[in-house]
Amino acid sequence: MKSETKLINYFLEIIMAITFILLAITISYGQDDLQDAIVTLSFIDNNEAKIIQAKATDQDGSPIEDLELYFYVQRTFSLLPIGDFFNTTDENGIVEIPFPEDLPGDMEGHVKIIVKILESDNYNDLTLETIKNWGVPTPVDQFEEKRSLWAAAANAPITLVISTCVMILAIWFIIGYIIFILYKISKIKSDIHTQFSEEKYFEDIIESF
Amino acid sequence: MSKPDIELQKFRTKRGKRLLNHLITTSLQYKLWIGFLLFLIVLGMFGYYRQLRYGLVVTAMRDYTSWGIYISNFVFFVAISLVGSLFSSILKLNKNLWARPLTRISEIIAVAAIICAAVIIIVDMGRPDRIFFVITHLRIQSPIIWDVIIISTYLVISILLLYISLLPDIALCRDRLTEIPNWKKKLYRITAINWHNHPKQIAMLRKVNKILAIAVLPVAFAIHTITSWLFATTWRPGWDSTNLGPYFVSGAFMAGAAVIIIAMYFVRKHLKLSKYITLNHFDKMGKLLVLLSLVYLYFNINEYLGPAFKMVGVEGEHITELFVGKYAPMYWFVQLGGLVLPIVLLFFKPLRKPLPILIISIFVVLGAWLKRFLIVIPSLQHPYLPIQGVDESYLHYNPTWEEWAITISSFAWLLLIITVLIKLFPVIPIKKYQQGSEIVFKQNIF
Amino acid sequence: MKNENSKNPTRRKFLKNISSGSALAVSGLAYFSVSSCKQVSDEKTTLLTTDGKLVQVSNSEIENLDHRHLPATREESRLGIPGKKFVMVVDLAKCKNAKKCIEACDHTHNLTPDRPYIKVLEMQDNEKSSPYWMPKKCFQCDNPPCVKVCPVGATYKRTDGIVLVDNERCIGCRFCMAACPYSARVFNWGKPPDQDESIPYSPETSLPSEIGTVGKCDFCPDMLRNNKLPHCVTSCPNGVIYFGDEIDDTVTNGEETVRLSTLLKEKAGYRYMEELGTEPRVYYLPPVDRLFPFEETTQENSES
Repeated sequence: MKSETKLINYFLEIIMAITFILLAITISYGQDDLQDAIVTLSFIDNNEAKIIQAKATDQDGSPIEDLELYFYVQRTFSLLPIGDFFNTTDENGIVEIPFPEDLPGDMEGHVKIIVKILESDNYNDLTLETIKNWGVPTPVDQFEEKRSLWAAAANAPITLVISTCVMILAIWFIIGYIIFILYKISKIKSDIHTQFSEEKYFEDIIESF
Repeated sequence: MSKPDIELQKFRTKRGKRLLNHLITTSLQYKLWIGFLLFLIVLGMFGYYRQLRYGLVVTAMRDYTSWGIYISNFVFFVAISLVGSLFSSILKLNKNLWARPLTRISEIIAVAAIICAAVIIIVDMGRPDRIFFVITHLRIQSPIIWDVIIISTYLVISILLLYISLLPDIALCRDRLTEIPNWKKKLYRITAINWHNHPKQIAMLRKVNKILAIAVLPVAFAIHTITSWLFATTWRPGWDSTNLGPYFVSGAFMAGAAVIIIAMYFVRKHLKLSKYITLNHFDKMGKLLVLLSLVYLYFNINEYLGPAFKMVGVEGEHITELFVGKYAPMYWFVQLGGLVLPIVLLFFKPLRKPLPILIISIFVVLGAWLKRFLIVIPSLQHPYLPIQGVDESYLHYNPTWEEWAITISSFAWLLLIITVLIKLFPVIPIKKYQQGSEIVFKQNIF
Repeated sequence: MKNENSKNPTRRKFLKNISSGSALAVSGLAYFSVSSCKQVSDEKTTLLTTDGKLVQVSNSEIENLDHRHLPATREESRLGIPGKKFVMVVDLAKCKNAKKCIEACDHTHNLTPDRPYIKVLEMQDNEKSSPYWMPKKCFQCDNPPCVKVCPVGATYKRTDGIVLVDNERCIGCRFCMAACPYSARVFNWGKPPDQDESIPYSPETSLPSEIGTVGKCDFCPDMLRNNKLPHCVTSCPNGVIYFGDEIDDTVTNGEETVRLSTLLKEKAGYRYMEELGTEPRVYYLPPVDRLFPFEETTQENSES
């Protein structure tokens, strides 16, 4: 099933490529054969659905029937097709496709909708673009780095920062205090009398060990 | 200096004379020992030169086994450094008077080990030239930063511990050793910071000593717990364990006690201190080692029973590799020869005599080093995703000569620092302030 | 791209290429830049203004938009591409281990074949199930273990979801390698192979790489900045890899463009080892209804 679709896809691609080349040749050598179609888009937004309506007319203003139109939404890397696989105009030159309700837009919900005529037998290729605010607005806050373990140093979790600082300060305060005491020790002046009695006492103990 | 020089010094007691003797006599054995250590260091330096020049490619570490014996050695040194706190804090606060003569050795070993740990971790870095980035670009979220902070803190505390207990003895050296080279005189004079056994000084020192004895305990526990978090904060099999902190700490105390026994033996023998490091000390240390090993055994069982019972995925592969696989011989040597057997043997009093306990302790220390190898390397070789599509050399880890040379030279550094410190300062505390000194101060002051 | 437009507002050029049966014109305009006008070049350009008026514009400027930019600086590359959350979907049903993605990646990032950023792993979930090929890159996790453990912020998570490595910051501690449960990281153990040292270093290109630092798949942000797909996506002959912006809810493999949510829903997309809680930005589609039977690597299928 899948490989079939794949094959068909490849086949279509080749056909289209060939058609395009032929078309290009036709364009350069016999441009008269192709006309410009005029496509007007209207956007119907009732409560139930958002609908893109395209009306194709020729230069005289009469509707074009059976014209294939392609509907896309511009995405970062490519165009996302919307609507059915084939979207063909009816006898009034009109084709309607629903716009997906849940498709994200930019931060304000804007989406670029593109309608194309591609490789038509009778009409020149055509691309229409328009911007509608039909998309779902994407929240802005998810693009800001929050405080977390994987954030940059500046965004470390506040509890971690505080607890680490408290521990470091506590232990280094003790170290500092000890060094201060050592400094005070070094400043105590010698006193012959006490020193002598000290020495005597200690060395007695030591001898007895 | 020749022998008669000893008589020239102004000793007042036999004790002082015996304990300061090694500071002024230099034997040929000592010189050979230093020479041997320097040779190993130069060898390691050459290995490190090659590593700096060609990059870590000279090691056997590759993308999967990305940490090797440098890291296991680092963990080992951190473990050894804990022993300082064991004696200066735990045994001191528990008023174990017998351990007093061993305090100095343990503090010296602690300082030497923590210095070597800090150095070996720099050796492991791919870009040692950027070492100061850990300060300038510090990210407090990283356990490595916690480790950097705690190691520098512990280094300072260890040096303070050593220094404070040493201070009266340095003053003694300054006062008694008159016939020594000038640089030594200067060293003692400066480091003795005007100490002259004034009661106020003694009172202050005792106070500081007490504060430090308490303060070092959480820091010592933290240093090895945080080192264990370098592993426990990852998903690797064997590392992803909540048991790792106490497991590392208890293992550290065991290894540290064994190292002390080895140090005791050689200090006693070569410095002729059998009067101060007695058979009783070996006996007591043997019992202490049994106690610490039993605690470690308990955490070992905890560490392996759960995963071995469940045999979950890569955790199971890892356990299989250790129990019956490639690393089984080493694993069982470590667990039986380095843990279970010492416990059993040390229950017998005759085996707590110096020579047997030395041999047992060597096995414990060897086991402790290999255990850290087994903690670091096999875990890395069992990632969640299979090892495929890489060079064949990425599958195994057999340390290269450069790695061995550097590792051995790190041990040479450790021993050199210990030897030099023992050579410069009395290895047994000479001055004794703890016993009854309170009474005399009161008498003096009032 | 926005910057590009504002710098050069008068001469807007468009890339015209035929990539498949559907997509034809890739606009140089970022779709969210509402303020810029909506013209499009074509053989005969028709323009629809916002008030629905059709205007025809004669077209003389169709040029291939393929000029090379200077890569992003280290500061720029910390920020991420605004308004994007990049995501990848790998369809395991389509992979036959052609290894073209690896080749393209190795070529772009100047890697030797023994330590590629991308690996195609032969996986077999259990003895009874059939083996399959699993292309594996960096998963660019949203809860990235590697970033958490980095002591110097050399590896960082950007707002667009990409985890990058700054080779000029990395100290080579390899904690990130130990922390990554997917073994996505490689290390420059020795000197990197011959490379052009004259180009300015950018974390976005990972070039020129430095000895003693770590590297990994980076989703080719230099390409993404120009709204181009990463090299592994475009080089895959079977359309295995879909890439896109999660904010767009759209992914494309260069041929077909589909909605991410629909694709994941319909094909039961999953993330590898969800239980680790790393929240990868790479999804997999299970290897069912395969395009190719599983074959061990042979000269034949690795050549095709």
